[in-house]
Amino acid sequence: MSETIYQLDNITQRYAGKTVLHLPELSLEGPAIVGLIGPNGSGKSTLMRILGFLQAPTSGEVRYRGRPARPFDPAVRFAVTMLPQEPFLMHRTVAANIAYGLKLRGNGGDLEARIAEALDLVGLDPAAFARRQWYQLSGGEAQRVALAARLALTPRVLLMDEPTARVDEASSQRIQAAALEARRERGTTLVIASHDWEWLYSICDTVLCLFRGQLIGGAKGNLIRGPWEVDDRGSYLRRLNGGQLFRVPPPPADEAVAFLAPEAVALNPLEAGPTGHAHLKGILTRLALEPNHRQLTATIMVGDLALSARLTVERVAEQQLYPGRTVTLSYTPASIRWIGMVDG
Amino acid sequence: MGYILDGVVTALRLLWQGDPQTFSAIGATLTVSSYSMAASLLMGVPLGFLLGYTEFPGKHQVRLVVDTLLALPTVFIGLLVYALISNRGPLGEMGLLFTLPGIAVGQTLLALPIVVALVATAVESMDPHLRPTLISLGANRRQLLLTSLWEGRHGILAAALTAYGRVMTEVGISMMVGGNIKWQTRTITTAIALETNKGLFGMGIALGIVLLMIAFAVNLSVSFLRRR
Repeated sequence: MSETIYQLDNITQRYAGKTVLHLPELSLEGPAIVGLIGPNGSGKSTLMRILGFLQAPTSGEVRYRGRPARPFDPAVRFAVTMLPQEPFLMHRTVAANIAYGLKLRGNGGDLEARIAEALDLVGLDPAAFARRQWYQLSGGEAQRVALAARLALTPRVLLMDEPTARVDEASSQRIQAAALEARRERGTTLVIASHDWEWLYSICDTVLCLFRGQLIGGAKGNLIRGPWEVDDRGSYLRRLNGGQLFRVPPPPADEAVAFLAPEAVALNPLEAGPTGHAHLKGILTRLALEPNHRQLTATIMVGDLALSARLTVERVAEQQLYPGRTVTLSYTPASIRWIGMVDG
Repeated sequence: MGYILDGVVTALRLLWQGDPQTFSAIGATLTVSSYSMAASLLMGVPLGFLLGYTEFPGKHQVRLVVDTLLALPTVFIGLLVYALISNRGPLGEMGLLFTLPGIAVGQTLLALPIVVALVATAVESMDPHLRPTLISLGANRRQLLLTSLWEGRHGILAAALTAYGRVMTEVGISMMVGGNIKWQTRTITTAIALETNKGLFGMGIALGIVLLMIAFAVNLSVSFLRRR
């Protein structure tokens, strides 16, 4: 049964006086898989640490299953756990690393069986790995052991901050599979921050996009940076590689970034798009099916700029859109939203 | 050269025969260094941990003071402690002057900055991922502290070992506060200084060998503990 796992109100995080995250309101339902995407420095890791109760926000309230919660609260200590990006283990054996959290919970009974089960989940042979020291593992194996140590705790929420960024392909696949199994078999809510948006779109029930510490939508948005120019007619634009012009409404500041929702982008295989729209010519490079199997995310290269559009399966079939095809991309400049600095 | 060889032969004979004077100095040294190490570790490990683990206003200034105290000359500590515990000093009534506990007070002051500074450095060099990992595995504040200490045990051992080496080999405090009284406050180092002045190299070399053996035994124990 679905319930509100997290309710965040007026969350602000500042470091050295600089605001790095500001979320007026965010609610996450569970059990579910929630994806977090955004460029480096967008506030993903800060939000993950707040959701993982590793740090309290500078201001604002975090509610966990309806109750205000802070780091070390008994209600969250044994329910929420987080796998960081860096593979890190304590300076002890693999078995002792997995046993640590179990012992804290008083789950000392049948320790060996639970350690073996956890190692099996991440695809490591318990007989070969349980007695190994932390320094006898590769980066990928260490990350899998770190995940095993969390899965052994059967958490209600497992947060994974770019869990596969620093591991090899085989470990990456195993980590992804183990996390999904935890969601399927145990009803664990997964919150995953990753740059791999295709993977996120293929597995997540919800994807949130962060940029400059703000939530800018529930999908991978198109973020276009300046420099912004003004043409002879007084219209603002950015000159793209190849000479095409990306037209925008007047920016509020030079450093403002234009946000164009993928839903606001239309694709057309013909030469011309609808009148009253801005048009760009590009090559459709990728189509990714979303988990609902009703929509696709298309990636179109315009010069060196990658733009995304969200299309229905029917529309893609009807217009015979396929990777490699030259398309006309249309949008109305009025649909562009400006994103400034959080402090600005 | 001959008198040095004679000294080595005499040293071995003194140790083999269990010379009472030699073993009295060894006993005094082990007693006083045990007191001072226990006191400096009990105070220094928590202080060093706090200094390395937490952020507070004035931390850099505190660190600067602690690092400066690493270079405290033993004769200056001897002078300070002597002034405090002599009959005219504020702690004169405690009767610590020319006693082993008196020397231990001075040696504790010598070892404390070493323990604090090296434990703080060990804690600062711990992997920054340790804290979030322990919290995310469910540790409360006390468990976080204890596990962090355990994870930093090698650095803490190194701090203790360095402080022990300094305490064992100091002369100034033992001489000034202890008075080098035969059978009572004569330690290995003050005995070596005295016997060398008297031209009796045998006992000096014997005590030097003992100092080396103690250092070897301590290092061996630490190395064994590290492997476990």
